[in-house]
This record gives sequence, structure tokens and C-alpha cells, in this order.
Amino acid sequence: MIALVELADRQLSSPLGRASPLLKLGIALGWLLGLALTTDPVPPAFVTAVTLASGLVLGRIPAARLAAGLAPLWAAALGIGLFNALFSAANTDPSLAVVAQAGPFRLTEPAVVAGVGLAVRVIAIASVGVVFGLTTDSTRLVDSLVQQGHLPERFGYGALAAYQAIPRLADDLATLRQARRIRGLRGGWHPRLLVGLLILAIRHGDRLALAMDARAFGSGPRSRFRTVRWSWWDLVLAVGAALVLGVALSLG
Amino acid sequence: MGVATGQVTGPVPATRWRTRDIVVTAIIGVAFGVVFWAWGLAWSGLDPLFSLAPWAKDLLYAVWLVPAVLAPLIVRKPGAAVFAEMVAAGVSTLIGSVWGPDTLLSGFVQGAAAELVFAFTLYRNWSFPILAAAAVASAAGAWIHDWAIYYTGVSLEVQLLRGLAMAISAVVITAGGSVLIVRALREAGVLEGFPAGR
Repeated sequence: MIALVELADRQLSSPLGRASPLLKLGIALGWLLGLALTTDPVPPAFVTAVTLASGLVLGRIPAARLAAGLAPLWAAALGIGLFNALFSAANTDPSLAVVAQAGPFRLTEPAVVAGVGLAVRVIAIASVGVVFGLTTDSTRLVDSLVQQGHLPERFGYGALAAYQAIPRLADDLATLRQARRIRGLRGGWHPRLLVGLLILAIRHGDRLALAMDARAFGSGPRSRFRTVRWSWWDLVLAVGAALVLGVALSLG
Repeated sequence: MGVATGQVTGPVPATRWRTRDIVVTAIIGVAFGVVFWAWGLAWSGLDPLFSLAPWAKDLLYAVWLVPAVLAPLIVRKPGAAVFAEMVAAGVSTLIGSVWGPDTLLSGFVQGAAAELVFAFTLYRNWSFPILAAAAVASAAGAWIHDWAIYYTGVSLEVQLLRGLAMAISAVVITAGGSVLIVRALREAGVLEGFPAGR
């Protein structure tokens, strides 16, 4: 079932865990946009290798945990790769080398290369996401977005309060499904469950907002309990990340 | 399908966000973040089923776009589409989506495209055609994003088929679904104090 990711201190106190979450987000999006410049499989493969290695070493993520986080991505990568290979514009060009042919369907070499390239791109993006998720605490992420990214704090902390309702929403969903079974309805998933979930979520949101208003949330300037500051390590990480992307793109 | 909420052109809306608007928009985003996470797994699992006509799968695409229309329809504040989509995307990134940080990029594109349509009406028109236009705009944003990030090599005909399937999906699932959900929520009495509850 769905739960908030519990992060061990070992990951949070690691070099990647101590880096600014805003910076890590920036690196993730920068790499993503950089990789969109090429369909060659080598640059995303290089980024994947660097990401997984830094997750293990700089993030101190246990290998088994990393592998479990990456498990769902293989189907997605395969799906995207096949779609691009099978429906490539290159397949209709008669001058290109054919790899496979079945009736009117042709599969050309450039189409296969592009399919592999995009599949590896999905793997690279997902790896970055998994390493980010396993080294970033949600509270620190919002602290960083508010203090370093200047996100309006009412929205940042409002979203964080809602985020922490996830275990509760997961329980609500389980209760709603049991209630359906008790009434003799079939188990499994039904769109009505979503409405029930939203009703309970909005009620919870109302109570949360009332409690926050009662404590004068967002009514004046705030002092801060936790501060997130830029450090030299952030600068090193930013330069390193830019170098990695540069090397990756020069390999393609 | 008729008008979603009675009036076509409402009064000049109050644009300041109350705490309640913020938290309820965020929690709608969170609930959908959980749905996205499950949907993302199902989405990849659906691939074998649609292997003969993969664009048909895009008829189900608009599940990703629901918060971009549902949340603004409930709270009716500037920025609600972007805020709800970003929270949903952030949740599915943090709990481990297949698409990683790209969820944030596509969430932003999808939310911002719907937001433009609502901003164009000055947040005063919540009729079904406007909801449908916002849903289709959101799908158009998603279509361009996916083309650039995931389907670079795919031929133009297939891209257009995908776009068409996504637009149909947006009108039916995102706009139609949002209207049905708001109706059910209003009957349950949880929208009191919100513009959509009247």
C-alpha cells in the first residue's frame, strides 16, 4: 500500500541528503531538458550510470532499496522504446536498411536506434527521480523551496500539511474498499471510490485549515525553526552536475 | 451536457486565497498524486493490451489532467490549476513515480495550459464549454511535452492520432469527470463555503 517514504538518517546525512533540495530539483530538471536534445542512447546511459553511482556513494542508498525503487520503470521504458521504434517516421523511408519486416510493416535501423535511445532516456529520468526521492525529506524540500526558491510560504506549508495526510488517505481508501465489500459489492477498484476518497480528503483539509487559522497561519511574518542555507558543497554539486551533462552530450 | 453550475458569468470573484482554499486545493492535488502513482503503474502495465493500436491508450490519458480542472472548478482562485497539478506531480515524484522529475515538468505544462483558459475568462465563467476548453488546452500542453520528451521519433500521423485521442479523452474524462465529481461532492455537503457549493 502507499505510504510516505521513510528515509533513514544515513541517507539524509549523506552528502546528497545534505545538499539543497532546490538545487537537486534544478539538476534533475536541467539534466532532463539536456537529455531531450539527443536521441542517441549513449548520453542517457552515461547519466544513468553517474546517477546510480552517486546514489550509492554520495547518497548512501542501500543497493537493494535502489533496485526496488527502479523496479517499475522497466515496463515503462520498454513501452516507450517499442512505440518509438514501431511508429517511427523512418520506417516508411525505402532507402533505409530494414531490420525486420512483417507484411507491410517495416522496422528500419534508425527507428530501432531511436527506440533504444528513448527507452534509455526513460531509464535515466526515472533513476534521477528515484535517487532524488530517496535522499530528500519532504519537510526539508518545502523549507528549501520557501527559503531558497521564494515560494510563497502559505502555499508551500499548506501543500506540506496536505502531503502529510497521505497515510491517512491510504487508510481511508482501505476503509472505503472494505465498506464496499461489506455491502456485498464486488471488491477491486471502482470510480465511486475516488469520490469517497475526495469527500474524506476535503473534510480533512477543512479541519486542517481551521486548525492552521486558529494558530494564525500566514497572518504575519514568520520566524524560522529550521533554516536551509546555501553551502560550498551545493556549488561543487552544481558544477559537477553541469560537467556530467556536458560530458554526456559530448559522447552522443 | 448543460452548464456546470447554473450561472455562466458569475460575480467578480474574490481572488485572495483563504487558508481553506490553499489546503483543500493542495489535498485534492495530494489525493490525485496518489491516484497518479497507481495510474502510472497501471499505465505501463496496459502496454501489452494496446500493443496493436497504442494511440488508443491515449483515450485514457486525461486521468492525468483531472486536478487541473477539478481544483479550479471548486475553489475558483487564480493559480488553482497550476497549484493542484504541481502538488499532484510533487507527490507522485516523492512517492516514486516511473517518470521521476519529468512529472513536475509535465504537471506544470498541463496546469499552466488549463490556467490560461481560466485566466482568459477572468475566473468568472465555469460553464461546461470553458471546462472542456481548459481540459483540451491541458491535453495540448501534455501532447507537445510528450512529443518532445518521449515520442521524438514517432511519425506525424501517429502524433496526430495521439493528439486526437487525448483531446477526446480530455473532454470526456477531465471536463465531464470534474463536473460529475463536483456534483457528487456538492451532494455530500463538503463544498459548503466554496463557490462550487452554491
